[in-house]
Amino acid sequence: MSSRRGRITDEEINELISKLQALLPESSRSRSASRSSASKLLKETCSYIKSLHREVDDLSDRLSELMSTMDNNSPQAEIIRSLLR
Amino acid sequence: MDTKSTPPPRPHQIPNPSRPDFLACWAAASPSKPMLAFHFLRALSRIHGVTTVRRRTRTIRRAAYSSMARAASPRRAWSRALLGQARARRSRTLTGRAVLLRRRRITAAAPPQPSSPASRSATIIAARGEISTAAARPLPPRQEGEPPRADALRRLVPGGAGMEYCSLLEETADYLRSLRAQVQLMQGLIDLFSCQ
Repeated sequence: MSSRRGRITDEEINELISKLQALLPESSRSRSASRSSASKLLKETCSYIKSLHREVDDLSDRLSELMSTMDNNSPQAEIIRSLLR
Repeated sequence: MDTKSTPPPRPHQIPNPSRPDFLACWAAASPSKPMLAFHFLRALSRIHGVTTVRRRTRTIRRAAYSSMARAASPRRAWSRALLGQARARRSRTLTGRAVLLRRRRITAAAPPQPSSPASRSATIIAARGEISTAAARPLPPRQEGEPPRADALRRLVPGGAGMEYCSLLEETADYLRSLRAQVQLMQGLIDLFSCQ
């Protein structure tokens, strides 16, 4: 990853933005035109990242509950152990 | 740097053939995913001692972000920022001089960055505290045509405060990919565990 010095062209920025747009979920892309403004895209990216953070929290919660019900000799623990070997 | 060095992952066979082998399919999609699974599962297997559910949830969440950062390339600023935050959090449990020594070691061992000293100190400052404190941080370098929305993005992406706009976009894309992979991993683990 090189750090660019000097003037950054609009082209490069647009390219990066379209790459970002490709990463966002489908629903947001189909609705708006292919050329959404940079600001709108950033807003969607922010909300997407926030929703992913929330999902990580939620999944951590569920994993934590699952782990409490798991005993040491269950087949799942065996799978984990074999994966880590 | 006190990051653990791990051996490169080998494609492993899941011994139970009746399981959907989601890990094998999912790992094939992108090269970094086996590392993600390795780090996360290892962190999970260490958790058994913690008793309270709330604390375990918090530990799992931190393990998720740490394993994300470990699996990513250390060239990524967000990865370094996340690991720095984890270190700072651990060092807060120590007291006084030990903390000072540890922080000096971190700043001395910080990876050499080609960017200016200003952004480097910003990364260190971001590593010292949590993301939320904005008071002591130097102003992010503003590019022409950078929309005001970029500030919110800087707050969300770890280590985003000191970056140029272009780097911010790159880091965001990479961070998004890793976040998604992490979410898929956790979801898959939950499915694996809960279908009895």
